[in-house]
Amino acid sequence: MKDFTIFWGCTIQTRFPFLEKSTRMVLDGFDLPYRDVDGFTCCPEKSLVNNIDHGLWVLTAARNIALLDKAGVDLVSPCTGCVSNLATVNGELHSDNKEKIKVNSILKEIGLEFKGKNKLRHLVPFFHDEVGIPAIKNKIVKPFHGMRIALHYGCHMIRPSHALKNDDPLDPKKFDNLIRAMGAESVQYMTKLLCCGQGLDRVDQHENALHFARLKLKELKSLKIDAMALCCPSCYLQFDNNQFLMEKEGEKFGIPILYFTELLGLAMGHKPEDLGVDSHRVEATDFLEKWQRLNGEFARTDELNRQLEEGFGIAQH
Amino acid sequence: MESLNIKLLEVCSKCGACYHICPSCLNLNEGYDPRAVIKDILAGQYEKWLSHKSIWQCLECHHCLEICFQHYGFENAMAAMRTLASKKGLAPTQVKRGWDMFIKTSRLGEPAAPARKKLGLPEAAKSGAEDFKKILKIYQERKESGVRSQKSE
Ligand code: SF4
Ligand code: SF4
Repeated sequence: MKDFTIFWGCTIQTRFPFLEKSTRMVLDGFDLPYRDVDGFTCCPEKSLVNNIDHGLWVLTAARNIALLDKAGVDLVSPCTGCVSNLATVNGELHSDNKEKIKVNSILKEIGLEFKGKNKLRHLVPFFHDEVGIPAIKNKIVKPFHGMRIALHYGCHMIRPSHALKNDDPLDPKKFDNLIRAMGAESVQYMTKLLCCGQGLDRVDQHENALHFARLKLKELKSLKIDAMALCCPSCYLQFDNNQFLMEKEGEKFGIPILYFTELLGLAMGHKPEDLGVDSHRVEATDFLEKWQRLNGEFARTDELNRQLEEGFGIAQH
Repeated sequence: MESLNIKLLEVCSKCGACYHICPSCLNLNEGYDPRAVIKDILAGQYEKWLSHKSIWQCLECHHCLEICFQHYGFENAMAAMRTLASKKGLAPTQVKRGWDMFIKTSRLGEPAAPARKKLGLPEAAKSGAEDFKKILKIYQERKESGVRSQKSE
């Protein structure tokens, strides 16, 4: 496997450092060849920077990508927005030579050149395609058998597909496959591909952001799922933080939000508090208790089956 | 307004297909509807939309882009309106605040050092703020002189 760096992005490092912790723990658990690279800035955030100055959006992203060219490493990110922004600019510069020359004439002044030769991938498709389901299954010691988990892909994990090219943009499967590899049921539901709506919180429309959070949380409450899984700090903010705010106002959903890396870390045998699951605003206690209990039951059944098999073995002799 | 393509928008005005997959069109009770904006753009009367909160309700989810047979999508028209609105100083307060922070620091926040230590995380990699400042300056100077040479032509 080629060396890669993790692009953490602003939101995880500023607001949710525990998500960096669980990501590092699972990467280390698989012994993956990653290292930190100095010099990244904001990806930059599309809705913010591109709305105001498209040229600067392209230049800033190109600079981040040029750092990869210099270090000779691929990029993997646990943030959907970062990957989709970087990949979109990468695609734009590969198809627009004039713009590429313009960008490079500025980057030259700081000793960089945009080549865009390295892969830019989100953590979920990276695990699916590069680590692979069999290797993941091998590492699972505490599976989620019997647990009903609802996935939220997050728009920018899969769209725009011309830039990301990693899954079907309207019927994605890779995250589902990973959740199933951990032993859980991936519950199918009507609003599965609905945008989280967190973007509205960034344009002074908090009530509308809550409206979008509600659409999904209401359906999931009625389906009695055990948890929602996602892998984007912005979606996490929407469903953990905003759900918590609504609960404080008396609107209770009780849906714990688990990051992909936290679920994988738990299934690999790490303790919830080491992974930072205790830093969530919506508590995951019920989820964790059910999982522990089911694991105990499954372990007992497994043991019984083993004894029975042995018993039959003796009888047959 | 590079992303406003009148030819493509004229096709939109007869199509409207992406309305039916757009999460904001389908779910915002206040009636988000880029079809109305596009109609006004084509009629040259989009001014009123620049101060309307509608243009900030596009979630940039790219659903419209994915299903559009022109590979265009409502989102491009809405993004162009937001750029125009921003130029006139009509962006929402949070957008302005975020922009200022980005321009000043190259990021939207700094790594939380004490929390990192508590979690046992390594020191965060260095930011590229210094180099960003340099290229930002060159970029702005070139943009300025570009605007000036355009005006003198
Ligand atoms: S990108 Fe904007 S306009 Fe397009 S479907 Fe999503 S919310 Fe609607
Ligand atoms: S953006 Fe594409 S799908 Fe949407 S109305 Fe225009 S032509 Fe139709």
